[in-house]
Amino acid sequence: MERDAREELLLNPKPGTAAAAARDFGIDLTLTIQNLRLTPEERIRRLDDFVDGLKQIQSNLRWVKKFPANTRDTIPS
Amino acid sequence: MKDAEKQLVLLGQCEVECVIVGGVAATLHGSSLTTRDLDVCYNRVSENLARLTQALRSVNARLRGAPEGLPYILDEETLRRGLNFTFQTDIGELDLLGEMAGVGGYTEASENADVMELFGYRYQVLSLPKLIAAKRAAGRTKDLLVLPELEAILEFQKREETD
Repeated sequence: MERDAREELLLNPKPGTAAAAARDFGIDLTLTIQNLRLTPEERIRRLDDFVDGLKQIQSNLRWVKKFPANTRDTIPS
Repeated sequence: MKDAEKQLVLLGQCEVECVIVGGVAATLHGSSLTTRDLDVCYNRVSENLARLTQALRSVNARLRGAPEGLPYILDEETLRRGLNFTFQTDIGELDLLGEMAGVGGYTEASENADVMELFGYRYQVLSLPKLIAAKRAAGRTKDLLVLPELEAILEFQKREETD
């Protein structure tokens, strides 16, 4: 799908804009644009599908190997 | 139908007067961040508490995190005596807010609220500027994380209005 001018300003924002701040913060604004293209009802359905998918993953998850919490690995400071 | 849709339809069917706030409001405004519970700021007038009670009972609402077997009567009086409630229901997590930091109660939340039609019903959705104010006032890490995206969406919407 082609991007319109406003979407371009989200993806390639000018310095000092909220979009630039969001990008620098680490927000993936391509996902935001996808959502903005949907109707509110489609946004809720998409959220529901995603959360439902996560629940299914959690319920079907089978650990093959799990490191104990007291593993010698340390978190770099 | 899945959880958020079922919850919204329930509130619509029972004609509960409320404003959608929190993560679902962020989703409705276009945020890509994910949430699992529906938060609504509800009108605390008697008739609405009665409708809310009926809705909550129909989905076996119980206090989230409360010990099993804790005596709890879900009725208008309980809702009147409390303010903010976190419920687990048969159709997912539903949080009722009588007041929100940075916004106020139902009257303030519904002022300038967006109205969206979803699944055959009309809903009030907290305006984006108020949602940003609420998230900022809540100040928890999870609230602050969503702010940059909401501010970018607000900027996007303002541009849409001026174009």
